[in-house]
Amino acid sequence: MEPAEAEFLAEKELVTIVPNFSLDRIHLIGGDLGPFNPGLPVEVPVWLAINLKQRQKCRLIPPEWMDVEKLEEIRDQERKEDTFTPMPSPYYMELTKLLLNYASDNIPKADEIRTLVKDTWDTRIAKLRLSADSFVRQQEAHAKLDNLTLMEINTTGTFLTQALNHMYKLRTNLQPGESAHSQDF
Amino acid sequence: MPSAQKPMRYGHTEGHTDVCFDDTGSHIVTCGSDGDVRIWENLDDDDPKSINVGEKAYSCALKNGRLITAVSNNTVQIHTFPEGAPDGILTRFTMNANHVVFNSDGTKIAAGSSDFMVKVVEVTDSSKQKTFRGHDAPVLSLSFDPRDVYLVSASCDGSVRVWKIADQTCTTSWPLLQKCNDVINAKSICRLGWQPGSGKLLAIPVDKVVKLYRRETWDSQFDLSDTFITQPLNVVAWSPCGQYLAAGSVDGSIVVWNVETQECIERMKHEKNYSICGLAWHPKYRQIAYTDTEGNLGLLENVGDGKKPNDKVASTVTKDYNDLFDGEDDDYLNGDMIEPQSSPKVGANEDDGDDDDLMPTSGHPRRAIIDDDDNSLDIGMIKANSNLLEKEDDDDDDQTGGFPALPPSSTQQPFYDGPMPTPKQKPFQSGSTPAHLMHRFMVWNSVGIIRCYNDEQDNAIDIEFHDTSIHHATHLPNSLNHTMADLSTEAILLACESTEELASKLHCIHFSSWDANKEWTVDMPKDEDIEAICLGQGWAACATSALLVRVFTVGGVQKEIFSLPGPVVSMAGHGEQLMIIYHRGTGFDGDQCLGVQLMELGKKKKQILHGDPLSLTKKSYLIWVGFSAEGTPCYVDSEGIVRMLNRGLGNTWIPVCNTREHCKGKSDHYWVVGIHENPQQLRCIPCKGARFPPTLPRPAVAILSFKLPYCQVTTEKGQMEEQYWRSVVFHNHVDYLSKNGYELDENTKNQSVKEQQELLMKLFALSCKLEREFRCMELADLMTQNVVNLAIKYASRSRRLNLAQRLSEMAVEKASELATALEDEEEEEDFRKHLSAGYSNSATEWSRLPVRNVQQDQEMEDTEETDAYEEVEETPEVHKQRPNPFSKGVTAAEVTAPKSVVIASSSQGRVNPFKVSSNKKDPVVPSANVLDTMSKYSKKNSLSSSRAVNKQNPPVIKPLIPKPKSKQALAASFFQARIPNSSEKTVEEREEKAGNESSEVKVTAQENTESKRPKTGFQMWLEENRANILTDNPDLNEAEVIKEGMSRFRMLSSEERMVWTEKAKGGTVNDLTDDKKRKRPTADEDEAKKNQEQKSEDSNLSKKPKPLDQSTNVRLSAFAFKQS
Repeated sequence: MEPAEAEFLAEKELVTIVPNFSLDRIHLIGGDLGPFNPGLPVEVPVWLAINLKQRQKCRLIPPEWMDVEKLEEIRDQERKEDTFTPMPSPYYMELTKLLLNYASDNIPKADEIRTLVKDTWDTRIAKLRLSADSFVRQQEAHAKLDNLTLMEINTTGTFLTQALNHMYKLRTNLQPGESAHSQDF
Repeated sequence: MPSAQKPMRYGHTEGHTDVCFDDTGSHIVTCGSDGDVRIWENLDDDDPKSINVGEKAYSCALKNGRLITAVSNNTVQIHTFPEGAPDGILTRFTMNANHVVFNSDGTKIAAGSSDFMVKVVEVTDSSKQKTFRGHDAPVLSLSFDPRDVYLVSASCDGSVRVWKIADQTCTTSWPLLQKCNDVINAKSICRLGWQPGSGKLLAIPVDKVVKLYRRETWDSQFDLSDTFITQPLNVVAWSPCGQYLAAGSVDGSIVVWNVETQECIERMKHEKNYSICGLAWHPKYRQIAYTDTEGNLGLLENVGDGKKPNDKVASTVTKDYNDLFDGEDDDYLNGDMIEPQSSPKVGANEDDGDDDDLMPTSGHPRRAIIDDDDNSLDIGMIKANSNLLEKEDDDDDDQTGGFPALPPSSTQQPFYDGPMPTPKQKPFQSGSTPAHLMHRFMVWNSVGIIRCYNDEQDNAIDIEFHDTSIHHATHLPNSLNHTMADLSTEAILLACESTEELASKLHCIHFSSWDANKEWTVDMPKDEDIEAICLGQGWAACATSALLVRVFTVGGVQKEIFSLPGPVVSMAGHGEQLMIIYHRGTGFDGDQCLGVQLMELGKKKKQILHGDPLSLTKKSYLIWVGFSAEGTPCYVDSEGIVRMLNRGLGNTWIPVCNTREHCKGKSDHYWVVGIHENPQQLRCIPCKGARFPPTLPRPAVAILSFKLPYCQVTTEKGQMEEQYWRSVVFHNHVDYLSKNGYELDENTKNQSVKEQQELLMKLFALSCKLEREFRCMELADLMTQNVVNLAIKYASRSRRLNLAQRLSEMAVEKASELATALEDEEEEEDFRKHLSAGYSNSATEWSRLPVRNVQQDQEMEDTEETDAYEEVEETPEVHKQRPNPFSKGVTAAEVTAPKSVVIASSSQGRVNPFKVSSNKKDPVVPSANVLDTMSKYSKKNSLSSSRAVNKQNPPVIKPLIPKPKSKQALAASFFQARIPNSSEKTVEEREEKAGNESSEVKVTAQENTESKRPKTGFQMWLEENRANILTDNPDLNEAEVIKEGMSRFRMLSSEERMVWTEKAKGGTVNDLTDDKKRKRPTADEDEAKKNQEQKSEDSNLSKKPKPLDQSTNVRLSAFAFKQS
C-alpha cells in the first residue's frame, strides 16, 4: 500500500469545522453531510474540510488531541514504554500533516504540534526498526505489534516481508539442513 | 464583636493563593496560581493592578517597596512596588520555593523550597546567602524571629525546626506535624508565626490547635483551641500589635484569639468552606485579609470590636446557630423581612445590658456600616457587570453581608437588619464581555462577532460575519472609543459614551445600503449618554441615560422617541420587535427588579408587553437578552436559566433550559450567543472557570438542548409530557409569524403537529396500559380529531370499551360545543365570511408583507381570549375545504354532498387551534375554502372551478397524520356521527363499523339538513349579485368572482350589510337548532343500516363507493367481530 493510499483513507476521518456559509444537508454516497450553518460547528470528513478551507469557506477546529499538552504526554509515554502506546487517532500522522499543511492558521501552536507529532512518530518508527531488527536476528516466527497505525505499518510492511522472504530463501538455499531442522520445531 | 465579613470576591484562578498588606495598609497584595500578583486598593477594587510574575506564584511578601514572590520557575524574584517592574532574581532553588518571608526590618528574606532547603538572602545583595539544610522533605512555611536571631521552618517531614540564623544551626526541632511527601499532600500548609515585637511566643498550627512555644526555652506555653475548629488549621497570623492571633483552617473557619486571655474573640466561617491558605492583618486597622485555595479574596473588618469577656459562650452558641442556618439564609432573611425588628430585640434581651432604648440610637452607626457594606456591594455589582466573574461570589454575599448581623451575638449595636436593597444592575449589551478587558467581544450574535482590541499598539474593532456572504470581515479603528455594538444582517451599530469634549455618539455602518454613503453618526444631546443599543430590521434604537429610547431608521432618519419608566438594562431587536429591559424599581436581598417592554415597530406600532415584571431566579441578574432566530423573546439570568416568551399562554415566560445543569464544574458557565427554535438549539460557548470566554484562543460554539423543568422527567410519562409541551412552546412562533404575515414552510408546522400528536398518542397508550382511563380522557382532550379517532380505536382494541365509549362521546360533545359556539356567533357570520374571504384574497398574494384587512387587525389587538375565539370562529371555514378535496378525489357527485357536516369537523379546531391555523395559513386553501362555501349555492358554477382549484393544489389534501395511520384514523373517525365526510364511501364505512353506533342517526339527520345550512349575508348577497359581477367581468373565474364580490360587498354601507345579515339569519337559525336537537345518538345498528341505505339513495349515486364498501365492510365486520 502506498502512503498516498493511507492518506486517502485518513481523509475519511471526521473533523469539526465552522463554516462561513449556509447550506442545507447534502446527500453523498458516503452519507449525508451538514446542514451547514454559518458560525455553527459541524463535523465533516477531512477531504471536505480541506477543500472548504482552501476556498476559505470554513474555519477548522483542531481535533481534541491536537493540543501541545496532550501530545507532550503522548510523546513522553511513547518514550517511556518499550511497546507501542495507543495513539489518539489511527491516522494521527496523516491528519497532522494534512491539517497543518492546509489549516495551520486555525491551529494554535502549529509548529510545536508538528514537532511533537514528528517526535512521537520518530520514536515509534525507531521502536519498529528495533523490533524488526531483533525479530530478524532472533529468527522469530511471529511477533505481536499492537497499536501500530496503518501509516506505520506501511513504512516497513512491504519491505520487511519481502526482506524476510529473501532471507528465508537465502537461508533455505545455504543451509537446507538447518532450515529443515528449524521447520521441525 | 460584630465583625463585618466582607463578601468574598474572585481574586485568582483556582489554586493556592497568598495575601499580604503593604506597609501602610493601603493595598492588599495577593498572588495566585495564575502567576499574577494583584494589587487591590481595597476589596472592592474594580480593576486591580496585575503583575505577571511567572506561571504560578506560590508566595509573596512585601516590604519597603519590594515585592518578593516565589514562582514556579524555582526562583524568588523581586519586583518594585507598586510599579511592579521586575527588579531581579534573588535566589534560585532546584525546586520551587513554597514560602517567602521578610524579616522585621525588611533587609532579609527567607525562602523555603520543595528541594528541602531554606535560604536566607539579603535583599540588597543577593550574593549574601545562607543555606539551612536539615529538613528531609519540602519546606512548608517559614517565619523570622522579629529580633532576627532565629528562623523557624515547618516541613513535610513533620518537623518544625528553629534555626539560629547566624551560624545556620538547628536549635531545636519538634516532630509536630503529619509526615507527607509533598506540599500538595500536606494536610496543612502550617503557616507559623512569631509574635511581633518581642518575639516571645511562637505560634504553630498543629492539627486543630495552635501551639504556642516560648522563646529560648522552646517549651510549649499553652495551646489555643476552640470548639469552632473542626478541621486542621492551615495558617496562623499575628496581629501587628502582637495581641491577637488569627488562625484559618482547611474548612474555611477563621478564629481570632486574644493571646493574653487565651479567649476566642472572633469566629467566622468562609461562605463556601474553602480552605483558607492566606491570612494577613492590616498593619493599622483591625482588618484581616484572607484568601482561599479557590483563589477568592475576602476581608474581615472590625475584628475583635466590642469584644466582651462575658461574650464568649453566647457567641459560640450563636455562631453555631449561624452554622445551622448556613444553608438556609434565604428563609432566614425572609423571616426578617416580615419582622425586621424582632431579631435585634431577641439579641438585646439575650445580653442583659441593652434595652430597646438603645436600639434606635446605636442603630445609626451600625446602619452606617451596613450602608458602607452596600456601597461595597454596589461596586461589586458594577464589577459584576463589567466583570461577570465575580458575580457569583457577590450573590452569596448579599446574604452573608447582612447575615453576620442577624443573630446578634454581640448586642450593643442593634441595627437595621431588614431586607437590603440590591444595587441595580448596570446596562449591558447582550453577547458582550466586560468593557474593561483589553481584548473583548463587543457582541457575538447569530450574525457575527465584533471584537474590540484596546491595548498599547492598537485600538480597533474587528467585525467578522459568520456567513461571509452577508459581508466580508471588517477592521475599523476605534478612535471614538466605542464600547457598545450590535450587528445585524444589514448594519453595524456602534456607540460610545460621552467624554469631556465629545458627546455620546451613535455610529451606524449600513453596509447593505445601495448608495455610496454607508455610514452615519448621530450625536446625543449634552449630558445624555447612550447606555444600550440594538438593531432590528430596518431600524436601530438606543436607550440613553435620560431614560429615553430613540429609534432611527437604519439609514439614519430619526423616528420615534419615547420615555422609559426606569434606567435601561438592555435592549434587543429582531425584525420589527423591540424588547427593552429596564429597572422597575429597587430589588431587595440580591434580587433585581426588572421590567420588560416588548413592542412592534412595524407599520402598525403597538406594545405587546407593557412593562411587565421580568421573572428572574432568586438573587440573580440578567446576563443575556435577545430573540430566538424565529423572533421569540428570550433571556438568560446569571443562574443560567434560559426563559422564553410563551405566546401561547398569555405572553408568560417559561424556563426552557438550565445551562448550569450542563456544566461540569461549579465555576464553569455557558455564555449564550443564540437561540434557535427550529431546530431546537441553544448556541453557547462553554467557559471553563469563567462566565465569559476570552477572545483567544477563539472559542468554539457548543449546542445545548432545551429542557422544560417538568416533574419526573426520568419516567416515561414525564419525559413525554416534557417533550410534548416543549414541542408546543417551541412552535408558538409559527403561529405568531404567520399572524404577522411571514411566509412559512407548511411542512415544519405539520411536522410539529404530527410530533405532538404522536407524543399524545404514546402518552395515551401508556395511560391505557396503566389503567388510567380518566387520564386517557384528559389526554384525548388535547388531541386533534384524527388522533382522537385513533385513540378510540386503540381503546376499543385494548378492550376498554367504556373508555372508547366515553371518548366517542367526548368527540361528539366537542363537536357540538363547537357547533354551539358557531351558533352563538351566527350574527357575526356575515362578518366572518367576509373576513375569511378577505383572508383568502390576501392569501393568494401571500408574501412577507403583512396583508391584513381592518378586521383582522382589530382582532389581533384583542386579548388572548378573543384570539382563541377568533380561531374557533375561523375553523369552520377552514375545515370545509378538507373534506372536499377528498371528495373530489372520489367522485364528482359528492361535491354537492354534505355541507352542514362541516361544522362538526371544526371540533378539531378546538382541540388544537394550532393545526387549524396551519390550514388557514395555507395560501391556497382559503380560496378553495370560500369556493366550497359558495358551491352549494351556485352549484353549477362552483363545481367545476372549485374542482380545478383542488386539482391544482394537491398539498391541501395531505392529511396531517402519518400516511399509514391516516387510513385507520379516517375509518375510526366515523364513530363520530357528526364528522364531516363528504365521501359516501367513508360514511358507509362509519355506519358499518359502528359497534356502539349511536351516532348514525345523527349523521343522517345532519345529512338531511345539510342543504339547509345557514347562508351568510355575504353569500346571499353574492348569489344575487353574481350575475352583475359576471357581466362586468366575463372572464373571471370563480375565485376571482368571489374576490370581486368581496370587495364590492365591502363597499356597501353598513346598513345594507346588516340587511343582508338579517336576511341570512332569518333563514338559517331554525335549521341549526333543529340540527342540534338531534344530536344525542340513540339509534341501534339496524337503524344505522337503514340510515345508510337511505343515505346512499339520498345522495347522488356513485359507482365508486360500492366496491369500496364491500371491502371496508369486510374489514370492519372483522374488526367488530374481534371486538366482541
